[in-house]
Amino acid sequence: MSTIQDFSGYAPTWCPGCGDWGIGIAIKTALVQMGLDPSSVMVIFGIGCSGNMNDFLNAYAIHSLHGRALPNAIGAKLANHKMPVVAVVGDGDCYGEGGNHFIHACRGNHDITVIVHDNGVYGLTTGQVAPTSQKGFKSKSTPSGIIETPINPLTLALTQGATYVAQTFAGNVNHVVEMIKEGIKHKGFSLINVLQPCVTFNKINTYKYYLQHSYKLPDEYKKDNLEEAMRKGNEMTTAEKFPLGILYQSHRQAFSDELPQLAQAALTEKQRFVNFENLYSDFL
Amino acid sequence: MKFTWKIGGEAGFGILTSGLVFSKIANRLGYYTFDYIEYPSLIRGGHNALEVVVSDEEAHALKKDIDFLVCLNEDTYKHHKHRLTSQSHVLYDPDEFVLQEENFIKISVPFKKFLSDLKGLPVMKNTIAMGATLAILGSDLLLISEILEKQFIRKGQEVVDFNKKFAQLGYDHVKQNFPQQIIKDLTKKESEQKLVMSGNDAFCFGSIIADCRVYCAYPMTPSSTVLTTMAAWQEKTGIIVRHAEDEISVINTALGSSFAGVRSAVGTSGGGFALMVESISFAGIAEMPIVIFLAQRAGPATGMPTWTEQGDLLFAVHAGHGEFPKIVLAPGDIEEMVNLTARAFNLADIYQTPVIVMSDMFLSESHKSMAKKFIEELSTTFKIERGKTVNVPTEQKYLRYRVSGDGISERLIPGAKGHFYQVNSYEHVEDGHTTEDAQARRQQVEKRNRKWETYLAKDFEAPKIFGDMNSAEIVFVSWGSTKGPILEAQKMLASQRKNTAYIHFTHLYPMDKGVVVPLFPSGKRYVLVENNSHGQFGKLLLMETGIEIKEKLLKYDGRPFWPEEIVEYTNQHV
Repeated sequence: MSTIQDFSGYAPTWCPGCGDWGIGIAIKTALVQMGLDPSSVMVIFGIGCSGNMNDFLNAYAIHSLHGRALPNAIGAKLANHKMPVVAVVGDGDCYGEGGNHFIHACRGNHDITVIVHDNGVYGLTTGQVAPTSQKGFKSKSTPSGIIETPINPLTLALTQGATYVAQTFAGNVNHVVEMIKEGIKHKGFSLINVLQPCVTFNKINTYKYYLQHSYKLPDEYKKDNLEEAMRKGNEMTTAEKFPLGILYQSHRQAFSDELPQLAQAALTEKQRFVNFENLYSDFL
Repeated sequence: MKFTWKIGGEAGFGILTSGLVFSKIANRLGYYTFDYIEYPSLIRGGHNALEVVVSDEEAHALKKDIDFLVCLNEDTYKHHKHRLTSQSHVLYDPDEFVLQEENFIKISVPFKKFLSDLKGLPVMKNTIAMGATLAILGSDLLLISEILEKQFIRKGQEVVDFNKKFAQLGYDHVKQNFPQQIIKDLTKKESEQKLVMSGNDAFCFGSIIADCRVYCAYPMTPSSTVLTTMAAWQEKTGIIVRHAEDEISVINTALGSSFAGVRSAVGTSGGGFALMVESISFAGIAEMPIVIFLAQRAGPATGMPTWTEQGDLLFAVHAGHGEFPKIVLAPGDIEEMVNLTARAFNLADIYQTPVIVMSDMFLSESHKSMAKKFIEELSTTFKIERGKTVNVPTEQKYLRYRVSGDGISERLIPGAKGHFYQVNSYEHVEDGHTTEDAQARRQQVEKRNRKWETYLAKDFEAPKIFGDMNSAEIVFVSWGSTKGPILEAQKMLASQRKNTAYIHFTHLYPMDKGVVVPLFPSGKRYVLVENNSHGQFGKLLLMETGIEIKEKLLKYDGRPFWPEEIVEYTNQHV
């Protein structure tokens, strides 16, 4: 049985009060509670304050390029589908720079768990606008307020075929833990969008703001209904209301489970191919 | 004996397939072939042509005179008539167009009439042409029947027989009407068993021989057939092929699978390669093995997608921001492609860095005969060398980026119990954690740089020299697919009693000055031959060794060199 300590690397360098602290402890707690240890999980980090968790979390890990964590995670899963693969990314990282990868990872139902630190701002580059910033948000790169409307990660994931779509709030660590555990358990693509206050650069979407504008999905909520999930997810755009919980979960074969090459063993475990006689006929 | 057979017609009507069928027949009959396709970047309506050089000895390049021209439309004749001689046979349909000229041998074949009489499809013109061709060349229909059988048996015997009828019509027509024009150039002879393979096919064989387990790509001419061949081989070989959403995803998927422990490769052309460049730098600092297949086409930007050029050499050499070791290899023909590709996977694992294998449209899409035993031997003797890749660390405290004398650190496959580590796109200390410390930075930069020194000492291969350097007055210097035309040109020059040598580079970057400089004795006429307009290899050679070649023969019209062109140039500029 592993402990939180086993997963703890360097002391985090996040700002005091940053939502990332809550997400960091929630990820470790979830991994411990699932019986995993740093040798049994692969974690791919993007670039940003979120990605800086690379130095604070022990695992077989890649600190990737900005935006590219998802394809790295997909590749790692293809090579060794027996290990859980988690991507720790930011909103600018995953929905901006890596937006195309996000869409296609949903479609492919790749069995990876994507934890997005959604703080509505670029923290590490000192406060420019993010794809999730609300319309009119004033930032160093949009001094007159952003013209674009925010991306809606939940409905985007839903329409692109993600099979597990959840949202949680960094201020409620227990809930983040639950969402992550369910996400890792889920066979297929899982998105956990974590609403994360940036105490330094985002004075709008504060802890207080999220406490006022978010709500937990009721117990009787049916998470297998795509239309209902779309309606709930859309409330973020239309009503500034942020549902928390598993919006949607369905069961479709994960990408790696549809590959007959992986039916018997992981790619890493397989014997070298030697039967070349089988390949010649097309060239004779 | 050597002749060129060329077939042309409207795009979308099976010209390229029938050309390949002809190559295979010639090989099975005991001959060697080299082919070349010309096609526009569209699916229907343009002009497609394919030519095959057939010889009783190994063929490396094209031959300018066309001996047999099969015109499935008038464009074929118009585009290629300047390459006809008085001995050329031209097969054409008088119902299609009128041939006024008399300065070659005309063989009229009523393609249109045969099709309408039997209600055949337009694509069956090819089958008629194949029958007619085999008749002219004094062969029989045995092999074409076999091929049609294999191709159509799934659709039923009736379809097979229907197709065979068209081959028979073309064959009988020539036999009956042009018996005096029949040249027995393709009668069966004994020869070793051969495979008909393109450069792209050869890359696939090299990869599978080297135990590549993930191939990732986004279609881009002229690399696309690697993707489709690898995809078709998934079931047989167990490789996983991912056609990702863009080239950035392509290379990062492969880097993910490489990190997790399996040999991984990507393939693309210049534009897609450009998208991969940031991640090549990532592979450099994170020290992740990756093999990148770069099949060049005529750029810049979209350029001329279906034509050939060696225009990306310096781009490949310099691809990636920051400083990190990288290895660039360039095969000159399909045998070198198989060898160097397989080797590229070993080098990527040993040096834990990107290895680029360069091709171009001419090498990637031309087919050449390869002795079957060449592949059989290599696939059984090739040794997988993974360098310092381990499943269990040899030292108690595992450090992913441990500073070492040869610059290479142990690479632990993720999953080993009791261990963990991160690979990092940031600069890092020995255990992988991020750093900005000056001393740690220097240590890691120097460690990575030492991998190059180790490579040059252990794995750099000197260029191959063809011909006798001592007696040579003229020395060609080149790399990549120009090899074939230069070798043929050397033969032609030798028959004119001109002694030449050819320095053919395959290990392009980095280069060992101490090894290369002595290969360039003074007092010779050196000619740089490249399929680009900047003389990029010349610049690279100067940069790496200080050798400057002043005389350059450069071609940059999207077409490969004719051996005849090299001969002519050599003789004119004395």
